[in-house]
Amino acid sequence: MKRAIMNSIRFFMAMALALFGLATVSVPAAQALTCSVTPDNIPITFTYHGAQLAITGQSASTDDLIVTITSEPVDTALKNYEKVGGLVWMKKGSLEFKDAPRVYLLDSTADLSRILSAAELNQNLLGFDALRGHIRIEDSKGNPADGKWFDEYLKFKKHENVYDMREGTIVRQHGENGNTYKVDVAWPYQAPPGIYTVNVLAVRNGKVVERASANIEVKSTGLVAALSKMAFDQAGLYGIMAVIFALLAGLGVGAIFKKGGGSH
Amino acid sequence: MYMYLPIALTSVNYLVVMGLGLAVGLLSGLFGVGGGFLMTPLLMMVGIPPTIAAATDANQIVAASASGTISHWRLGNVDFKMGLYLLIGGFAGGAGGVQVIKLLRATGGADFLIKMTYVVMLGGVGSFMFVESLNAMHKTKKAKASTAPPKAAPKVKNGGFFAALPMQTYFEKSGVTHSALVPLVLGTFVGVLAAIMGVGGGFLMVPVMIYMLRMPMHVVVGTSLFQILFTCIEVTYLQAYSNHTVDFILAIILLVGSVFGAQIGTALGKKLHGDQLKILLSIIVLAVTVKIVLELVMEPSILLSYAGGH
Repeated sequence: MKRAIMNSIRFFMAMALALFGLATVSVPAAQALTCSVTPDNIPITFTYHGAQLAITGQSASTDDLIVTITSEPVDTALKNYEKVGGLVWMKKGSLEFKDAPRVYLLDSTADLSRILSAAELNQNLLGFDALRGHIRIEDSKGNPADGKWFDEYLKFKKHENVYDMREGTIVRQHGENGNTYKVDVAWPYQAPPGIYTVNVLAVRNGKVVERASANIEVKSTGLVAALSKMAFDQAGLYGIMAVIFALLAGLGVGAIFKKGGGSH
Repeated sequence: MYMYLPIALTSVNYLVVMGLGLAVGLLSGLFGVGGGFLMTPLLMMVGIPPTIAAATDANQIVAASASGTISHWRLGNVDFKMGLYLLIGGFAGGAGGVQVIKLLRATGGADFLIKMTYVVMLGGVGSFMFVESLNAMHKTKKAKASTAPPKAAPKVKNGGFFAALPMQTYFEKSGVTHSALVPLVLGTFVGVLAAIMGVGGGFLMVPVMIYMLRMPMHVVVGTSLFQILFTCIEVTYLQAYSNHTVDFILAIILLVGSVFGAQIGTALGKKLHGDQLKILLSIIVLAVTVKIVLELVMEPSILLSYAGGH
């Protein structure tokens, strides 16, 4: 009897586990968040002027989405203007912006403040307010700098087109392929070569429930890469080449003007 | 229309950059100035980082000044002897000036002093040239209107202290006699100031040659270009070697414009009188001074910037 009861309990537990398993596997399988970037490899050639990226994937139709493109955080030193002698504006000191991504581009299906709480945004480093809390700003002596410098940093980066936030730009589609999303991003030519990460977050009921990511590689190629390498690895030769080329160009044009029977 | 620059790590409209080269090259051929005081801020406006703008500008000036020097040499406007003395002084002064700047920076507040020196020198030189050439033009008009026979041109000779100096040398092309020490010392003085201010010094050297060495305006332009050529070769090499800030591609785009600009400038200069050239240069120098003063007193729209630049 006891054995029968135990067997029954085992059976029900197995059934419950199987059902739970089905539930957890089958539901997300239909809603699995995916992410792909086209193109995911951006070659920098002489004609490079940025690129047009298409970020696409599948997601649950009811979830809100946030897409970010960021780089590894770095420390960036910038000069800051201050008023000297109460009269003139000059680059006086320097500030270090620590743990700041070189690029920070964000797109979402709706206003961030409506999708997630401030605490969740901060925890996931989403939005400029979250960056404000994350990036440490120090003066040349290592002392924490005034918070106003974050606003200036943001202006500086936005001016370079490498920081941007666009809310409500992700487009959803419901078709034969299920629920898909798409967002077009103008990749700024000002972003230096490197590997960048695209993160897609699915948000349900004020919580991040799923993530997917992809990488973009921005890389110098051909003569652009060769010149860049030479400037650093063979700086002396590069300097001589720059001087000789300029001299030849100057003297050559001088000769052309003479041959051309110009005014000389 | 766009070209990516491998060292500046940015993309520029090459027609705009070529146009800048053409305009500044024209000034170079016309007035014998390198044009760095104009080109560096213009390059920064099209998105080039300041350190790369300044170093690459020196690279393109090599081409423009080579082009301008050869044209002026053909016209007999280059006093190589005077240029060499000024150059030796300029190199010595430049090396000394770099040490002065290190000392000033160590004491703090040097940037304010540098900027003020720059504004005062530009403003002073520009105003002096403007007034002087305006007076000279009035005198020429009066002389033309007068029926009296024209006076013989005064013989250019330095008296007093300058005449008492040893190593008196006749500079044939310029038609002046000076102690060799005079261009050496003046070259050193301009070299020190140019190094402190972070500019090539053409706008200082030209007035020094006109008013202190009493050289004719057209020979001043050719000789100044000859001297600038060598200064910029040195700067280009040092910047490329030490700081990796010369963008070869940017320099090529600029020099395509500037070498033609220098030729046009030289041809145009032949059609203008010395006083007309002086007054035009003084107006440009004064306009740049006003622009710098405005930049200093008006709050920048963004209070952060990359290091470098004038």
